[in-house]
Parts: sequence; structure tokens; C-alpha cells
Amino acid sequence: MISNADLQAARKQIPEPSVKPEKTESVVQENAGTAEVDEDSQAATKRDLQGLTSDVAVLRDQLTRQLDSNIANTARSLTIGGTLQNRYTAVTSTNQPTSPNGFTVNAAILSFSGALKKDYEEGRNLTYALSLISTAATNTFQPYDAYLQYAIFPSLDIEKPNFNITFGQQAIPFGLEPQVGEDKKPAAVYAIFAGANGWNLAQRDLGVQLKGDLFPFVDLAYTYRVPLIQYQLGIFNGSNWNTAETNKSKDVVGRIVLNAPVDYNSDFRGLSIGSSFYSGEKDLAQSNGTLITGGSGKGTRNRYGADIAYVASPFGFTAEYAVGDDDRVISGTTIANAVKSTIKSKAYTATLFYEWGEQFLNQVRNQSRLDDWWPKTYQPFIRYDYFDPDTSVANNESSVLTYGFNFFFAQTTKLQLNYNVSNLKNTNVKQSQFIAQFQFGF
Amino acid sequence: MKNWIKALPLVAVLFMGFTAQAAEKPKVIRFAFPGSTIVLGKPSALVNNIIVDQQLLEKEFAKDGIKIEVSNFVTAGPGVNEALAAGLADFANYGDFPIVTGKAGGLKTKFILATDVGANTYIIGRTDLHIKGVKDLKGRSFGIFKGTNLQPPFIKLLLANGLTEKDVRTVNLNTTDAQAALIAKSIDAIGIGADRPVVDLGVGEVIGDTNQLPLSTRATTGLVVQEDFAKKYPDIVKRVVKVYLQANRFASDEKNREVLLKILVNTGAKYKYLKSEYALLPLKVRHNPLLTQGNTVHYKDLVDFSEHNKLIRKKFDVDQWIDKSYEQAALKELGLENYWAK
Repeated sequence: MISNADLQAARKQIPEPSVKPEKTESVVQENAGTAEVDEDSQAATKRDLQGLTSDVAVLRDQLTRQLDSNIANTARSLTIGGTLQNRYTAVTSTNQPTSPNGFTVNAAILSFSGALKKDYEEGRNLTYALSLISTAATNTFQPYDAYLQYAIFPSLDIEKPNFNITFGQQAIPFGLEPQVGEDKKPAAVYAIFAGANGWNLAQRDLGVQLKGDLFPFVDLAYTYRVPLIQYQLGIFNGSNWNTAETNKSKDVVGRIVLNAPVDYNSDFRGLSIGSSFYSGEKDLAQSNGTLITGGSGKGTRNRYGADIAYVASPFGFTAEYAVGDDDRVISGTTIANAVKSTIKSKAYTATLFYEWGEQFLNQVRNQSRLDDWWPKTYQPFIRYDYFDPDTSVANNESSVLTYGFNFFFAQTTKLQLNYNVSNLKNTNVKQSQFIAQFQFGF
Repeated sequence: MKNWIKALPLVAVLFMGFTAQAAEKPKVIRFAFPGSTIVLGKPSALVNNIIVDQQLLEKEFAKDGIKIEVSNFVTAGPGVNEALAAGLADFANYGDFPIVTGKAGGLKTKFILATDVGANTYIIGRTDLHIKGVKDLKGRSFGIFKGTNLQPPFIKLLLANGLTEKDVRTVNLNTTDAQAALIAKSIDAIGIGADRPVVDLGVGEVIGDTNQLPLSTRATTGLVVQEDFAKKYPDIVKRVVKVYLQANRFASDEKNREVLLKILVNTGAKYKYLKSEYALLPLKVRHNPLLTQGNTVHYKDLVDFSEHNKLIRKKFDVDQWIDKSYEQAALKELGLENYWAK
């Protein structure tokens, strides 16, 4: 047993007596200096030192010139990033001319982000993000994310709740599929309800959003933090991204998530249930899309969703259900004579996946290594996706069953293989689609 | 035909015997260490560096054809715990506090050897604030890397000076960010290990350290093994412990003092701070690897302390967790039974 008494006895065996740290430090520094002189029998002369000083000055000047001429500068901190999706698609369909198979740049995103004001003391940082996206459909770069974010609560302490505000063009806080990262969305394409053929919830919109969490639960053993409650509430134009507002009404979107407040090693880690709403008004249009006179902002556009996720590597499961109400004009061309009806729509999707590898182990991925190591991870998954655009109409729904495999083989690179079996009853088309996509970033 | 059928049980027994024999030797043994954040590819702790530099594990297991894999985590103890939880490491040698939080959180490990005792935590105050000592931290902002070996000694230092964590504004910052925040004058004081370059820059000064406290309150490190691995390969575990005892024997020899400091300098730490830190204890005390009663008491105290301060949610039985059998067998094999104080 090592006690302080033993320690005192042992200290007597070494030549230097125990002294206070400050004193020890000075003694050691003196000794260290002596030892260095002893080791190097040739002491530096004044001329040597002047030569060294001159060399350092030359190097400094060279570096300054190089920085001035070759290195880009920014006024504030800046991280430049990008994501590209190079895709090959092959499709076979029934009752439809065969779509061309081929290669596309499905999406190219160029992103810039950084801190406009960094608060070292409490982490009340003011940050910005700007990203430009070009898709296979547009082939033109246009603003994607363009927002300013401020951490209202201190953000450095993992045991305290977070709360921030985001202003600008950003993701809408609805549902799981439209806004989660690749740890919960392994498929290459969005579920129908989140994409352009559904309610387009994965798209950006212009507005302001409050986002935060409450009652964080921390397991210090893994620096694992899970808040009991996460919430988001935002007000948006509702007029689509990069589009000026067309009416005076604003859409309100909110989401709340309850997470299992458990230790990292608990079987319930990664379990969460969420609920979202979207309450908005849109310009009233006829079924052919023609806006009616005086119908600006007079039509209802509501969505309600619920979701559950259990993602505890290596196993993951997510499921989501959502319904929608949309007003449209059955007859009439003005708001005065318009006869409205409400279309009810619904959607659900479920994904099951398993993975081999450390891609989603955040601590393990950070290794002190000399090489450009990254853990290879393999992730097979299956997803079922269903969307009914009008529940009052029979046989108009779409469903897609996706068999997929993701292979993560570099820090920002993965290969996605998806085989989609679609049944599009509204067009009476059955389709098999194979997608091979490299997603890589820098 | 009947003879063939009768022979089946024999074939089955032979097959079972073959598979049992195969299980006596793993193909690879995986180690998880906290890694240096300054020099990539290096562990941060001395004994781990000795073992890696001198390839002691590779030499021990070369004749068996067993591969050695070492992962150094820049995320320190929490990274090591995640590797153990994910089954990506068989052994880990790291700090006592993450060892305790990991075990309390459900890791199925056995504690099989101590490797370093008495590491000091230093409190650095901003020079321009003229902070007189730990007592003077009341109401000030303080940066520390929570979840690491720095946290309990810091709390103990506060308690020894009549303060609690609530008396200071604690900010969770890793060591690099904490020093950056001190330089930027965004924070009043920080807690770090022996290497303290901010003092050289003139922006910080030592206002307290755990050297003022009893030895048992300071940070230690230890070697743990996965329970399943230990059950499956007890002889391999004994041989790993033997290698660690050899490394500790090297680290305990005063003749090697300068060599040891140079090993640590290669991890990016400053020589003069290492020299002063290691001058505070005889090497034979600092690198006494024995699972003494003192170690048991230290870990029991740390478990109680962590639960009391709500750093862990449930306690565990330290006596059941510590397994001295490998150490005793390896000590005997090396003839080192009486080398270190018991």
C-alpha cells in the first residue's frame, strides 16, 4: 500500500529533497540549463546568435511575402467545404417509355461557414453559413443555406441546455427524414413526402427559427450528451426557397423530440420519439395550378407528423407517419365565388439498417495517427416509403421499396447502391430503378 | 455404415477439441490508449510509449504469430471507453477517472494492473489578473476538460480550499481550447496536466496544484481488460501484464530518468515541465504497478467521490472488479515479487 508515509520514506532515496513546486521548477530549470551546457561542449557565440537572428528575419520576410502573394485571406474565420454526388441511374418501367440510363452530377454543394464572433468564455457564438447548390435538374448554382445563427444560451457546457436562433434561408424543422443526417437516413433519395413529388419538406425556406434542448443527460465516460427534450419553432415565408414572399401570411413550423435520457451503455440509447407540425397558408389555386383573384394567402396548408427512431450503432430503425391538409379551389375564379375543398394526404416511411464499422462512433473516429486512416464501414438497409397525395381518391398512391447498401471508405466519401422498386398507381407505372452514387466531400 | 455413425461422437469431440485449442490464441490483440494531440501517432502516457517504442508486445507475441493493434485516441478516456463499449479493444491503459466512469456506466472490464500514480493537475491563472491561489478562484471562470483525469483532482483542490464547483464558473474546454481561451483572455483560469506552455508565454502562472494534496487524491492510470477476453485467454492476459510489468520496471529505474523524459518529450511535451513533474516522486513510487491496498482504497474513494459529486450515477464493487491473479503470476515469472513497495 502506498501511503504518504511510504512516500516520504521513498523520497529520502532520491538525491533531491522534496520542495514546493515553484521552488522545484526553478531548481529544475537551473539544472536543466546546466545539463544542456554540459551536453553541448561548444557554447554559442554572440556571432552565432546574430546569424541565427538574421536567418529568422529572412525566413519571416519570405513567409510574409508568400502569404501576401499566394494565400487567400478572409475578414473572418472561414471554412470552405463541398459535397458532390456523382450518380449512375438505370430505370426500367412498365406503361412508360424507358427513361434514359446515364451518369449525372446529382448535386454539387459549395459551402462556406465560420464564426462572426467567437465567445471563448461561454460559447455564445455568432456564426454564419452560406452554401450554393446545383442539382441535375437546374445545373445552376443558387443559394441553399444562407443564415446567421446566434447561441442565446452558453454552449460550452455539455451539462447545460442549448438555445439558439437562426435567421435566413434554412431547413424547415419538420419531421425526421427531411432534416436528419446520414446516420438516420441511409437512402440516396428522400422519402416521397419529403421530396419535390411530395410536400417538399426537405427543401429550404426563408424565415427565423428558435432551436434548443432541455434537461440534458450527460454520460461523462463517453462525453455522451442526450437532452430529454429537443424543440424547434420557426416562422417561414412558405413560398419556397430563393423566392420572394407572395402573401402576408407566414407559416409556422415546429417540432418536439423526446429522447431516452439514459447512459451510453443502456439498451435504450438512441431511442427517440418526435412530433412535428406545419401550419400555413398558401395562395389559392385551381386544380390546374392557376391562382384565383384575391386568393393570396387564403388557402390552408397544414402537415402533422409523428416519428420514432432507435439508432444505437450497429443497429438502426426509423419510422415516420405524416398527414396533410391542402385547400384548393374546385370552381370559381375569384375568392368571392370560389368553392373550396380540402385535400387530405398521408405518408409513412420506415427504414431498417445495420452497420459494420466505426463510421458512427464519434470518439473512436478521432485517432492520433500519422496516416490518412478512416474506418471502413458497411451498411445494408431496407426502406419502405408510401405517399398518398389525396386520400379521397382511390389508387393514386405511390410506394417505393428500397434495398440499399452504403460503403464508407474515406472520411468524407461513401458509395451508395440503391435498388428502388416503385409502384406509382397515379400513373399506373411500375418501376425498377438502380442508383449507384459516390457522395464525397472536401 | 454403423461404424461410421458410431465414429461421429469421436469426430465431434475431436472437432470441439480443435476449436477449443484454436480459441486459446487470438489472431490479434487490440489496445486502446489516450493519444497525444501534439505529435500524431503517439500515445500520451509514458508506459504506453515505452511499450510501443520498444515493441515489447510485438516481441512477446511474435512467436505465436499474434498481431498487435494499437489505437491512440485524441479524445482521451472517453474515446477509449467508446472503443471498449463497441468491442474494438481488448485492453486499455488509461486514466482512473474515465476507467471509473466507464465501469460505472456498464463496461464489462477487469482492472488488472496499475501503471502510474501521482500525476499532478496544475491550476493556471491568468497573469494579468494576479489570482493569488485556488481560493481566489471564487466567482471566476475556469476551463477544464470534463470527463478526463483532470476533473476529480480539480474538484478536490477546490474542496481543499473551501470552495465547491458551484463557486466557480466551470467551462468545459479541451486542453488545447482552454489554453487558447486563456491566451485570448476569455477565461480566468484553467486546469491542465504537467505540460503548461501558456506559462512560458507569460499569460499564465501556476496558482495551485495537486502536489499540495495527499498522494491518494492525485490522478493515476491503470490497465483494464475486457471480461470476455480474460475468460477466453487467461494466459494471454498474464503475458500482457508481464509486458506491462517490464515496462514499469524500466520506468521505475532512476538510471533511466533522462531516457524517460526524452520519451515523453517526443510526445510533444516540454522537457522542463516534465522534469519538474517527475522530480516530485521517486520513479519507483510513480511507476509502482502493484495492485496494492492503496490502489483499492484509491479507486473506492474515487467511486464514492464520483457518485457524491454526481459524476457517475451508480457505484460498483471495486473489490470484485480488481483481479490480482495475473499480476501475481507475472511478478513471479519475472522474479519481481519484491521490487516495488507493497
